[in-house]
Amino acid sequence: MITRRSAIRTATAALAAAAVPATPATSPRLKQAVCRGPFRKYTLDELCQHCVRIGIKGIDLVDHTEWPTIQKYGLVPAMTPGAGNIPDCWNRLDNHEKLVQQMEENLNRAGAAGVPNVITFSGNRKGMPDGEGLENCLKGLNRVKKLAEEKKVTINLELLNSKVNHKDYMADHTAWGVELCKRVDSPRVKLLYDIYHMQIMEGDVIRTIRDNFAWLGHFHTGGNPGRHEIDGTQELNYRAVAAAIADLGFTDYLAHEFSPTAPDQIKSLEKAYEICNV
Amino acid sequence: MITRRSLLRHTAAAVVAAPVIAPMAAVAAPGGRLKQSVCRWCYSKTSLDDLCQNAQRIGLKGIDLVNAPDWPTVKKYGLVPSMVQGNGRIPDGFNRLENHDKLISDLQELITLVADAKAPNVIAFSGNRKGMPDGEGLANCVTGLNRIKKFAEEKGVTVNLELLNSKVNHKDYMADHVAWGAEMCKKVDSPRVKLLYDIYHMQIMEGDIIRNIRDNYAYLGHFHTGGNPDRHELNDKQELNWRAIATAIADLGYQGYFAHEFIPVAPEPLKSLEEAFELCKV
Repeated sequence: MITRRSAIRTATAALAAAAVPATPATSPRLKQAVCRGPFRKYTLDELCQHCVRIGIKGIDLVDHTEWPTIQKYGLVPAMTPGAGNIPDCWNRLDNHEKLVQQMEENLNRAGAAGVPNVITFSGNRKGMPDGEGLENCLKGLNRVKKLAEEKKVTINLELLNSKVNHKDYMADHTAWGVELCKRVDSPRVKLLYDIYHMQIMEGDVIRTIRDNFAWLGHFHTGGNPGRHEIDGTQELNYRAVAAAIADLGFTDYLAHEFSPTAPDQIKSLEKAYEICNV
Repeated sequence: MITRRSLLRHTAAAVVAAPVIAPMAAVAAPGGRLKQSVCRWCYSKTSLDDLCQNAQRIGLKGIDLVNAPDWPTVKKYGLVPSMVQGNGRIPDGFNRLENHDKLISDLQELITLVADAKAPNVIAFSGNRKGMPDGEGLANCVTGLNRIKKFAEEKGVTVNLELLNSKVNHKDYMADHVAWGAEMCKKVDSPRVKLLYDIYHMQIMEGDIIRNIRDNYAYLGHFHTGGNPDRHELNDKQELNWRAIATAIADLGYQGYFAHEFIPVAPEPLKSLEEAFELCKV
């Protein structure tokens, strides 16, 4: 029986409950992914199971032998090998024959498996002027863009910092990468904007993402300084950055690439997911 | 008379009100390790008395960018005029030799006033490039600041050359990177010639805020805040995590002022200021 007193109690509970923030929508605006590398202490099956539970949709930086496991869980291999490595890549013409061959093989394989992205790099400067490196990258990427378009796989050239982690890397500023992409002029040749790396090199993250959004194919995260958790222990407000990216209508993946310091790494991943769940 | 029923009602009200009251209660706690300050111009619709009264209530210690006629008001509330600009102008600064005589006589006058008022800081600018190479501008700034440093040391007043962005707000301004400013300070080599590291401006120009503050700490005399990209509140709509930055600065043992220079857009600007204070109270 509802008495006046119990009615008051119920109303109290309802009011208190109302103060708890509503749970986020079940279909989040940003698709999140996680890089395999920092979570090697878990088997791929374990990591995939955690991703499914958390709501993460993809795993980055996994090669084709790992794709069936990932796809078994309904997840996407969200970033996969393309061609070359960080110090040796498209900015040198003498690498091109080998790079084109690798890229063709990887684009074909990714296309067949419905994998959306492959990664590639500029290479290090080794004394080469940035303008010359850009011309060389342009020549090389022009040789593979048609196949990428046919296979519907995006080639993402990664922007990295040359100040702390990858000394001498050429593609260390967004403007250089955007100039390259504009000249390649293909919907399947874009940049992997690594937020951690770009915060180290140039800051102004949200404005830079907005101004260059047409050329950004994929995002990586990481706390700065330290490349650890993306929470209150570091200088970027990842929630605002994620909201700005979602507001632009981004449809590819925002992938976490921080090295967790907390003993329970999966908890750190859950927390990162919540921070970027906008 | 308090009946059980009315007590229940009161309790119900308290439960609902609790989340609102909790952050207010924290205001009563001591002001944290950083001395926080606020720039006058961001609250132009508020009278100086109102601003000072609220600053005192919130726990701020200083008002930035107020001139001599306003200092008695600032001091009446136990606050410090924490950064004084004088006649200096952003585009015309120490990077041109022909400006030096005027800048130095103005600064001598200003430093004397500031020292008499027991205030700690004056501001200076590099000036715009107008085609001048950065190396030449740096050498000129060193020449100019060398002429004023002894006086500043005697008076115990710090000359802070401000770092500003040249990408969005101050096109062509020369002192737009911390490395340039730190190199200049190294060459001047005076404990009374430092940089005003504006965190908003430096986030626009170069990012890597905490590392840059740590690496160049010896040359940083003062800080300004502001949300990026829009220079508004230091809230969830902008890209920096101010609490982590304030913590990093406090951890270095910083003894100067940390001054808010965001332009509030919320309906209650003084509430925005209070929230910024709480956020940076570490």
